[in-house]
Amino acid sequence: MAKAKVVANLDAHALTGQNARAIASVRLEEMYSWAQYVDNSYSVQELHNLRIATKRLRYTLEVFVDTFPDACGAILKELEHIQEELGSLHDKDVMIALLRLCLGGQDSGGEYEQSLAAVAQHAHKGRLMIDPAMMAHLLRSSEGPSPAQREGLEALLRHLQRQRKRQYTVFREHWYKLKGQDFQHQIVTMLDVS
Amino acid sequence: MQGQNVPVCAAIDIGSNTLRLVVARCPCPDGVLDILETDEAIVRIGESVNATGAISSEKQAHALSVLQRFKALATKHSAQTILAIATEAIRKASNRDDFLTVIQQEAGIEVHCIDGDMEATLTFYGATYELSKSAQPPAKVSVMDMGGGSTELVIAKDMQISWHTSLPIGSGVIHDRYLTADPPTEADRASARIFLHTYLTGLQLQQFPPILFATGGSANTLLILAQRAFGLDTSHAILTHEDLVRCEGLLWALSAEEIAQRYQLDTKRARIITAGVLILLSLLETFDLKEVHISSYGIREGVALAYARNGAQWLAEARQQAHNVSQATSHVNTNVEIVTYHEEFITSGRRLFLTRAETMLGWRDVVLKHEDSEAVHKMRVASRRLRAVMDAYQSICQRRPFKAVYAQIKDIADALGIARDTDVMIDTLRQQLEQASASEQAGIRWLIDGLSEYRMSHQQLLEKRLLKLDKDALLRSLKACLAEEGEKHGKG
Repeated sequence: MAKAKVVANLDAHALTGQNARAIASVRLEEMYSWAQYVDNSYSVQELHNLRIATKRLRYTLEVFVDTFPDACGAILKELEHIQEELGSLHDKDVMIALLRLCLGGQDSGGEYEQSLAAVAQHAHKGRLMIDPAMMAHLLRSSEGPSPAQREGLEALLRHLQRQRKRQYTVFREHWYKLKGQDFQHQIVTMLDVS
Repeated sequence: MQGQNVPVCAAIDIGSNTLRLVVARCPCPDGVLDILETDEAIVRIGESVNATGAISSEKQAHALSVLQRFKALATKHSAQTILAIATEAIRKASNRDDFLTVIQQEAGIEVHCIDGDMEATLTFYGATYELSKSAQPPAKVSVMDMGGGSTELVIAKDMQISWHTSLPIGSGVIHDRYLTADPPTEADRASARIFLHTYLTGLQLQQFPPILFATGGSANTLLILAQRAFGLDTSHAILTHEDLVRCEGLLWALSAEEIAQRYQLDTKRARIITAGVLILLSLLETFDLKEVHISSYGIREGVALAYARNGAQWLAEARQQAHNVSQATSHVNTNVEIVTYHEEFITSGRRLFLTRAETMLGWRDVVLKHEDSEAVHKMRVASRRLRAVMDAYQSICQRRPFKAVYAQIKDIADALGIARDTDVMIDTLRQQLEQASASEQAGIRWLIDGLSEYRMSHQQLLEKRLLKLDKDALLRSLKACLAEEGEKHGKG
């Protein structure tokens, strides 16, 4: 996820409440810039970005909560809810990616291992879903999974994929429910009140 | 009860919401506080102090009439001594000295205005009085005195205070600020909850004892409400999280007057306990507690006990105890992150940078101990909250120091992130283990072992990074971001 956008044209000596609205408006735009990916269950990175952007908006509103009208409380609650749903989804995505890498590593032998090690050396921090050093550690383990353990990991992968599917459905329904209530507009309206 | 010749004392507590009296034999020959009379009146002095900074003439007159009534009760029981203390609202009232002089002249009562350390010490004496008599008191216990203007929080080990603080989140303050509708609205509740959640999670409390005692008028009234409304066993002074949620539902459904009529409560108190229930719920949820024990004894009984133990020296001894406690306890960051609309942007930024950094740094020692995996999570969240503030103020910051300190904080956050993500994976796998088939279990265990090994090796890296972290230098760098000389380049 890219760094949060710098909010330009803020006056250091202006009222905090005025600047807070400008900052929150930018964070709101950032959040909704990822909304187009909500319908794509497998836009894993983009859904993760939506989660981070939601979190940034939430933290910003929390910082300045006392400068906003009371309606901010209910909005924060919804943002926290979305963030939690996307968080659970991300946790599953990470586990699924880890299992695929582990099983792939076992399938493909040394070449695969080398390419992962290369990624570990050159990857930009924070850009990969699985920490490359972690992957390297798991693949370096002297004993890989036995056939029985491997079968277990395959079963776990299927299990997690089913759970992930359910979680995605719950999140999407919630997202559309909020859309039906024009949640984005509610936030804009709240920010317009001084 | 025997002891007709034992001295009788009256102890008065002038709180932000309530004035309270206890008349007792001090000490009773069998060591038990022999209470002869109690009385109380809700005056809400804090309401006037919060609104104007001073105690209004109406509140002064009301308080004076209550104190004269208390004096008459003390005389009725032949009390030789009247001990009176005043807390938060009086402490901060601009006309405090005039008010105390009027009480001295009109009611003949000398009132001692005590500080937060004394308040915590005396409250602890009172609230744990019953507990201290038991054969095996718990090793660790916490006590909260939920007053109108502040909430005193005390943690004790082996019945000795090991830590305490005074939090500016009294039931009167929260009520006046957020819950003025009757009954309060959903939006009111959400705002108050968000404030309390943000405030309590901002405290650097790494561990909280599993047993919590609460005292104060609102806590006791909530117990009475739960007993009368839901038929709770009156021999157990305990409120579970569920009991409190039910009270909350009731208080949000009915007006204070209806609550008062139905359950024989004071109407003023019925209004304030809306805030009380939210404070208790927030505390239980923040510190992951299931229930709270309600103590009917509080600071006034603490004063009586201090007198029973030390006679005329009660105040000096209590002050010394409070001083010892103050020296011995670690201080936490209780700076309130209230940012008001009209505050200058750069001023709020300077404060927020430092309070958020201190909150993050407060977790470092716990992470280094590597005993509580939640500490990693909390420090990471604190680092993100700090970055959210820095992101907000970036355009008015000095570029060079901002870039350097931001990178430093991100570096720490990344290291914490890897540790946390690995912890989450291990936890997720352990949860899956419970419902997994035998073959699945074998695979999960293989992965847990590998991840656990990796987590251990990463801990060393994390510790190295945290040990290198120079707290003072970091705070200096953060201050430099919003330094005076940068203001002229403030825009853009």
